[in-house]
Amino acid sequence: MTTTTDLRSRVEPDRVHGSLYTDPAIYAQELERIWYTTWVYVGHTSEIPQPNDYVRKNIGPQQVVLTRDRTGAIHVLHNRCSHRGNLVCDADRGNSSSFRCPYHGWTFANTGELLGFPFNQGYGGAQAKERLAGLGAAPRVESYRGFVFASLAAEGPTLREHLGAAAERIDQLCRLSPEGEVELTAGWVRHEVTANWKMLVENETDGYHPQFVHSSIFSISGSGIGALYSDKSTAVTRALGGGHSENDLSPEFRKLGVPMGWAGTPEARIPDYAAAMRAAYGKETGDEIMINGSPHVMIFPNLFIAEIQLFVIQPLAVDRTVQHVTAIQFAGAPDLNRRLVTQCVGSVGPAGMLLADDAEMYERNQRGVAQRQPEWLDLSRGLQRERTDERGFTVGTATDETSMRAMWAHYLTLMDPA
Amino acid sequence: MDDDGLVASEFATVRVSLDTQGNSPRLRLEDLRSGAVRFLDALELESIVWAPEGFLRELLDPSRHRWRDDGSAGGGP
Ligand code: FES
Ligand SMILES: [Fe+2]
Repeated sequence: MTTTTDLRSRVEPDRVHGSLYTDPAIYAQELERIWYTTWVYVGHTSEIPQPNDYVRKNIGPQQVVLTRDRTGAIHVLHNRCSHRGNLVCDADRGNSSSFRCPYHGWTFANTGELLGFPFNQGYGGAQAKERLAGLGAAPRVESYRGFVFASLAAEGPTLREHLGAAAERIDQLCRLSPEGEVELTAGWVRHEVTANWKMLVENETDGYHPQFVHSSIFSISGSGIGALYSDKSTAVTRALGGGHSENDLSPEFRKLGVPMGWAGTPEARIPDYAAAMRAAYGKETGDEIMINGSPHVMIFPNLFIAEIQLFVIQPLAVDRTVQHVTAIQFAGAPDLNRRLVTQCVGSVGPAGMLLADDAEMYERNQRGVAQRQPEWLDLSRGLQRERTDERGFTVGTATDETSMRAMWAHYLTLMDPA
Repeated sequence: MDDDGLVASEFATVRVSLDTQGNSPRLRLEDLRSGAVRFLDALELESIVWAPEGFLRELLDPSRHRWRDDGSAGGGP
């Protein structure tokens, strides 16, 4: 097992040791101290709209079931029968007030409570329910604007404390709906890569790579986004605290001053949406919201909101990670939603170019980092020009590694709390 | 319920149809995993609508009717 002193010697302010991506002992420790301790994004309330709806989700390698009970309360249950440990739910989603394990028929309410089991004389009768366990449940489940997070630790910071300023990015996203709500109803694509999960987290707000890795999709789609990731851009990389970070492109979008300019979608293509936004927020604020755009924020450790799509990162092993991705949908915006689905199919669908580009880099990076020399990865880009913004956040230019440095600093506080 | 009256989840598969063979219509419920059939008339259905939550929870206990080992008569249509 890696000792914590050992760990501190592998993370320095401007570089990290390659073993952090390849050492199974470190990965095991990350599961305990990060994934099974801190708040982890699980799912969205729009995925379980009706009483007794459920969906299968995950917290890293842990399989969980996100349920809404008949009263509307939300639960995150471990998908493990309390009899002999079989998986209780197999379908990705469904509607059922109770779950019956297929192995011996133990039956649980969607709150986790044990309702009964076949042939109960073997346990001394029905009253044995009182002493036998139900389904395990995450001790803490909270949601913020429909985004449901769970912590497997009974105590710790509240969700709001954990999110900090990242909550404002969720607000920014929700405001793009005339009803103030996001709906994750477009379905999910699952991409598995042979790479450590932190490669993905770091890449999500790495503004240094898009001009290289994504140049072909930018040129094919005629997107102006690539140019925003340059040293001349007024866009910034911002560490939001708590390991969260963003690429804030909004200064460029404000300069452009065109409603929906950020999405590359002329207003004439989505007249109903533009009208609904102005009706809901008033002309001035509605325009401002549509000009400002959607966030590009990595909420540590597993929720990445990338303007029009949302990724959930799921580590399965030290060198195996799944990205679950969906097109973001906005309540009350059917014409915009149709376009978003089409755009996402092109970028991150099964044959999508954006995600395929990144996936190739993750896998090459994992293979490369396993080589012996040099042992360290450099994190120094932009360190000399980093500044503190008016709210006290550390900010770098669009291509600086500010967000990675902040992620690693937070990583140490979780991995070595002393 | 789909067009064929199928009410299904990963846990159970039941076909629901309206039966008009009797002098009043009845609901016909067929458990497609076992073939067992039960009819429910209007008053029985109304009683289920008004039953407290605990009533259904008790029915969901597998030992309650279908899988009994206490020597008493089991359930079944
Ligand atoms: S393992 Fe689930 S009932 Fe036996
Ligand atoms: Fe067997």
